[in-house]
Amino acid sequence: MLLIDCPWCGERAETEFSYGGEAGITRPKDPAALSDAEWADYLFMRNNPKGAHRELWNHSQGCRRWFGIERDTLTYRIAGTFRLHGKDEG
Amino acid sequence: MTDLSQRRHGLETLVGAHGDREQLSATVTLEIRAAVRQLNLRGDPGKAGLRTAAEEALGQALPVQPNATTAGPHTICWLGPDEWLVLSATPDAANVATALEQALSKHGAAVNDVSGGQVLLHLAGSGVRDLLAKGCTLDFHPRAFAPGACAQSGLAKANVLIRLDEDGEAFDVVVRRSFADYLLRWLRHAA
Ligand SMILES: [Zn+2]
Repeated sequence: MLLIDCPWCGERAETEFSYGGEAGITRPKDPAALSDAEWADYLFMRNNPKGAHRELWNHSQGCRRWFGIERDTLTYRIAGTFRLHGKDEG
Repeated sequence: MTDLSQRRHGLETLVGAHGDREQLSATVTLEIRAAVRQLNLRGDPGKAGLRTAAEEALGQALPVQPNATTAGPHTICWLGPDEWLVLSATPDAANVATALEQALSKHGAAVNDVSGGQVLLHLAGSGVRDLLAKGCTLDFHPRAFAPGACAQSGLAKANVLIRLDEDGEAFDVVVRRSFADYLLRWLRHAA
């Protein structure tokens, strides 16, 4: 069981959260200008590092906010959690 | 707005002869509080005027610290950085939603009466902390769960809002109406 430090609620059990994949994927400003390969790269291709990974999580049973976690995919150690920029920053 | 004082909570068949008050065990009592109005409020507290307008309409401040509640005419629970639940048992609770909606209309806020969608279970007695701990990962030790605190979590896998009253003696558990039947059965069994 991981103990995840929600940027709003504090430390909570892993079961309160849901995983949202790699962080930092930005939707292209002009999708129509992309080639099929570039679009597919945005849609489907993700890094799968052994080690530090920045990823999105949602505190789905708590405050229901999205935030980021830097987690080691080998040891599961969480280096830190961070709020996302923009409207949801709170 | 309809009067909630005679309202049915939909659990009548399940509570049967127990009525809305039930002794779950020697140390835990349960009360289903259908007459408490529940309002969901969403809005950006960073926006100038929203908090002041809400405070004027409600007669008390919105809690802006995570997992905090404020007491006053109503009980207001923090649900998220831009979301609150107003629990109101005042005689004019039916008008609170309208007053709040009018006061906040200029501030981009949304007020929704969710009384029909959620059930408020009031649990009291010396065994409550142990009972909740059987189905929830939160720390219910008095050192960790202080009077006036609230938290959303899972209780026996159902999403709930749990609040400890100002005296530190009884817990309110707010659960979706569709999970209330299941949760009540679980509470009876676990108690
Ligand atoms: Zn949270």
